[in-house]
Amino acid sequence: MADPMSCEEATDLLALDAVGALEPSDRDAMARHVATCATCKRAAAEYADLASLLPSALELVPPPARLRRRLMAQVYAESAASVRLPWWRRLVATIPAGRPFTAVGAVAVVAAIAFGIYAVAGRNASPTSVSYTVSGTTATGTLAVDTTARQAVLTVTGLAALPSTEVYEVWLIPPQGAPRGAAFLSPGLGGGPWTAVMQGSMAGYKSIAATVEPAGGSPTPSNTEVLSGQLTES
Amino acid sequence: MHLSDDDIVRSISAHSPEGIEALYDRYGGLAHTVALRILGDRGAAEDVVQESFLAVWRRGSTFQAGRGSLRSWICTIVRNRAIDRLRGDRRRTRLDTPIEGASIEPTGSDPWAAVAIELSGEEVRHALAELPAEQRQTIELAYYAGYSQSEIATKMEVPLGTVKGRVRIALDKLRTSLADRVETSWPTQ
Repeated sequence: MADPMSCEEATDLLALDAVGALEPSDRDAMARHVATCATCKRAAAEYADLASLLPSALELVPPPARLRRRLMAQVYAESAASVRLPWWRRLVATIPAGRPFTAVGAVAVVAAIAFGIYAVAGRNASPTSVSYTVSGTTATGTLAVDTTARQAVLTVTGLAALPSTEVYEVWLIPPQGAPRGAAFLSPGLGGGPWTAVMQGSMAGYKSIAATVEPAGGSPTPSNTEVLSGQLTES
Repeated sequence: MHLSDDDIVRSISAHSPEGIEALYDRYGGLAHTVALRILGDRGAAEDVVQESFLAVWRRGSTFQAGRGSLRSWICTIVRNRAIDRLRGDRRRTRLDTPIEGASIEPTGSDPWAAVAIELSGEEVRHALAELPAEQRQTIELAYYAGYSQSEIATKMEVPLGTVKGRVRIALDKLRTSLADRVETSWPTQ
């Protein structure tokens, strides 16, 4: 049985740990000592706080505003999903207003995509990004999933313009359980492709669909989905 | 309305987005500064900061008051992720995982948390400047470059024991120097 560590030895290791220099081989022994020694537990906290003062000596470089927006968009999206409210509620202000009415109107249009994240992962051209071709009754497009950045971008053409009272809502559908409202498709400028950006991991979802919903979205998808097509990699 | 760190901890524990918002508004600048200092790349630094705060959002209950302040906790998370990215070691698990299992609690009495708030960057720089060069270099190699004890020993061509002692002595000197600058009842050795 190894001799128990002394407080003097532990203190040296705690200081190393505070600045991130502790060898992995020393961690367990240090942790066992700290677990039973109130003095060293206090020392660990003090050294951690001392080390956290080191950055204070640096000249503060404020982060760009986009970082806060990006972070909080993701936080609110996940928060909304966890309480069964569509996260798009946070994005209502970003939806362009005053869409012109067209004769196509409230026709049920969908770009429905079926994909198996796990099945396709092995065929990825890149270990961090996956592309899927999506199609529907009148629409075609691409779902680009960046697994490293945990972000997916859906780009679709062939969608009809909608009146201001309706939106295209994108849903992520797990193998079991209810679809989750993930994003709204936004029309491109000058008739360009519609796009939707989704933050977070796509793992665990088997398919994705888009439906026509009332402006502001719906808690659950309406019955406007067209039969899904097969996914093919772009 | 001013939120204390305890309020922020409680808010995060309740899985409130406002808690993360408050945490970011209070320590996001510091986190970004640390990440940028380590990585030297703005895009990478932003990614690390976002990943760190998202990790806190998703695992906020791992914060343990007895192991330091909220400031030191978030600095450790950001610093470790930045070092991992710098060294390309994504399997490394480190200090954002608690050593002991414990439920989250508000910070309560934390002398150095109070001291940290009162200290200015100038005071910390001055205290660091007072350290012997080899002690300061040892800390910087560890904290900002992510070198381990053995790697520092190799780089500075000194025994392992020397590195171990230098770090502890340097932090003890910092404690003494900074405590002298701020009135505190916390005892120094």
